[in-house]
Amino acid sequence: MWNYEKRLQYPVKITKTNPKIAQIILTQYGGPDGELGASMRYLSQRYTMPYKEVTGILTDIGTEERAQKRYR
Amino acid sequence: MADNRPCKAELLDWINTVSFVCDDTKLFLDTHPCNTEALEFYEEFKNQRMQALQEYAKYYGPLTLDTMCTPADKWKWIDTPWPWQEGGC
Repeated sequence: MWNYEKRLQYPVKITKTNPKIAQIILTQYGGPDGELGASMRYLSQRYTMPYKEVTGILTDIGTEERAQKRYR
Repeated sequence: MADNRPCKAELLDWINTVSFVCDDTKLFLDTHPCNTEALEFYEEFKNQRMQALQEYAKYYGPLTLDTMCTPADKWKWIDTPWPWQEGGC
C-alpha cells in the first residue's frame, strides 16, 4: 500500500549543522506530540470511521503525516 | 551539443508545485467528491504533473517508478542520488 517518490515534498537545504535545533525537530517528528504519533492516530481512527468521505481523508492525512520525515 | 533540455532546478520546482496542488486538491475531493469544479481542476494538474515527471525522468533520472525509462539491460532507479544525499531532490 505504501509508495514513495525520490524527492522531498518540500525542498530542504541545510547549510550548517545545528544540534540544538536538530533536537527540537527530532522531538517534533518522533516526540509525544509529534508527527509520527499523529499519523498513527489518523491511521487507526480511519478503521472505525463510518463515513467514507472521512475514512478517505483520515487515510490521506495519516499517510501525509507519515511522510514528514526530514532528511540530512 | 544542441539540446533543449529543460533547466533541472526549474523543472523540479514545477514538479513540487503541481504535486502540492494535487495533494491538496485530493484532500478537498475526499470530502467533496461531487464538486465538478474541483474534479476538473484535479484532472488538469494531474496531467501536468505526469508530463513534468516524464520530462524529468527523461533527462535527469526517475522520481517515480512508473515514469522511469526502462531499457532492457539496466535498472535505473538506484542510479540517481537519494533526497538526503548531495545532488538529491
